[in-house]
Amino acid sequence: MINLASRDILHGWGKFLFTGIGLGLLVGLTLSMAGIYRGLVEDGRMLIDNSGADLWVVQQGTLGPYAEPSNLRDDVYRSIVGLPGVAETGNVAYLSMQVSHGAKDVRVMLVGFESGRPGQPGYLIAGRPVTRSHYEAIADEKTGFHVGDHVRIRRHEYEVVGLTRRMVSASGDPMIFVPLKDAQEVQFLKDNDALINERARTAANPAFNRPNVPGLLEAVQSSQAQSHQVNAVLVRIEPDADADVVAENIRRWKRLQAYTKAQMDDILVVKLIATSAKQIALFLVILSAVSAAIVAFIIYSLTMNKVREIAVLKLIGARNSTIAGMILQQALGLGMIGFIVGRIVAGMWAPVFPKYVLLLPGDALRGFVVVMIICALASVVAIRAALRIDPAEAIGG
Amino acid sequence: MAKMNAPAIRLQGLKKRYGTGEAAVDALKGVDMTVAPGEVIGLIGPSGSGKSTLLKCLGAVIEPSAGRMEISGQAIYDDRWKIADLRALRRDQIGFVFQAPYLIPFLDVTDNVALLPMLAGMSNGQARLRARELLEALDVGHRANAQISQLSGGEQQRVAIARALANHPPVILADEPTAPLDSERALTVVRILNEMAVQFRTAIIVVTHDEKIIPTFRRIYRIRDGKTVEEAGEGRQV
Repeated sequence: MINLASRDILHGWGKFLFTGIGLGLLVGLTLSMAGIYRGLVEDGRMLIDNSGADLWVVQQGTLGPYAEPSNLRDDVYRSIVGLPGVAETGNVAYLSMQVSHGAKDVRVMLVGFESGRPGQPGYLIAGRPVTRSHYEAIADEKTGFHVGDHVRIRRHEYEVVGLTRRMVSASGDPMIFVPLKDAQEVQFLKDNDALINERARTAANPAFNRPNVPGLLEAVQSSQAQSHQVNAVLVRIEPDADADVVAENIRRWKRLQAYTKAQMDDILVVKLIATSAKQIALFLVILSAVSAAIVAFIIYSLTMNKVREIAVLKLIGARNSTIAGMILQQALGLGMIGFIVGRIVAGMWAPVFPKYVLLLPGDALRGFVVVMIICALASVVAIRAALRIDPAEAIGG
Repeated sequence: MAKMNAPAIRLQGLKKRYGTGEAAVDALKGVDMTVAPGEVIGLIGPSGSGKSTLLKCLGAVIEPSAGRMEISGQAIYDDRWKIADLRALRRDQIGFVFQAPYLIPFLDVTDNVALLPMLAGMSNGQARLRARELLEALDVGHRANAQISQLSGGEQQRVAIARALANHPPVILADEPTAPLDSERALTVVRILNEMAVQFRTAIIVVTHDEKIIPTFRRIYRIRDGKTVEEAGEGRQV
């Protein structure tokens, strides 16, 4: 038996191809939305993996350091490093900010780290590690910076000495790594005007400016000008240690919050991007509905343009299943073209997106199945209309 | 079962009523007709006389209201359908030729003709072979691989006749098959229908208004107000 669907497609291939391309752009957009969601999850996981930590110790009662603000004294690590199972600790400071580079502003996450400790960039793709105590930086390549560039961060200028890759915040901002002291200064140290005002305010406070206690005012003012805060202490545990046990010990004995990798994954992937995920899921549903409506309309139009041919086919004895099969196969053919075009364009425009778009083969496979189901369902309207066509329409009168 | 030597078509008191009650319209009021195998007859009448209704009843696409209808001696309708699968009846026992050829535009000439035997279960190869034989018989064999849009109106009508003959049906219903053609081509189509009727022993009922071809019929059924009157035609050679 002749395949009527393929003959019809070949006969009007131009119309069919262009319709498929139009549908493909829509499918490409849908796949990209799924890719953006996967990118958000991947960014979160990369953040966890790249930190090199097994535990995150943060201020009690917070979901820090990525999801909520957290402040700890920078000597807290000393009490943690002595606990059983702890191999190494590293103070880190995180701050999202705008960084000026020439004429353009770049949104980055500034990371203060201690060289050779957890929290430093995992690998470099160009340049060298930070070797000086101040004013050197390592930037993620997505910042657009190059080795040797000078960037201004608050009061000081930093030289980019190395580049890294896929080091982004949970919201996709590329990271700039600077020495911890510099990051503390950027994050916690007040500007000169604020310091002068604060000194005046402290001097006017009789509790700190007592006539009979020489040196008290100077000591208080000196403490206000120093920064000894960090956002978190990253902990690497011994190979044979149990992360949950060490975390529990820190929570119990140090009165601090400690998260394991699994818990941090839950915070970053489930809690932090929950709203974005819902937003994207809704977009996917809407795009799927729009795709279904468009396919249904196209297939219905193509079918209604063949009313006379279908009436003739029915008159000369074609089974309903033959006609339904022709329409269904055309819908699936359209879906196939749409999916192939969609997958290609999604792959082409993914690198142009400012955020990471991760197109997984599994998502593509699921997308293919969904597109085929949508096309099959969308053809139902046209099939119903075709089966209602009276073969008597082929005979005049 | 089809009977040897039986008329290809026999209608006895065939009636068709549209609607019910006071709005009912009797389109056919008791049509009698007999057509022998290999015979070509004309069915003529003014607009609204019931020609199309009769053709649709004969084509088993609408159900008559009363009467009896036989094809090759087999009762098709006797106050109710006597055949369960009307689709198969149309496919195997009735050929259709329309005013416009109504060929399937996305199939080539051969496959337009071969489609019917394929629908009846014949293999693609055999169906195409039969299609090519028919196309040769109708002098369009040289266009066997052409697309429908590449054919002239006359060639398309020949392909439509070939399609109607494809399953060797005992009956062909031709609904104004010469209407869009000029005199010469119209008479050619009539000649072909006559030749095919003889060659395949197919009864052909030609519904027509065309004054050019009416003199070619040996027998004519004139339909008026839902009733038929049989007349002798001129039977002019073409």
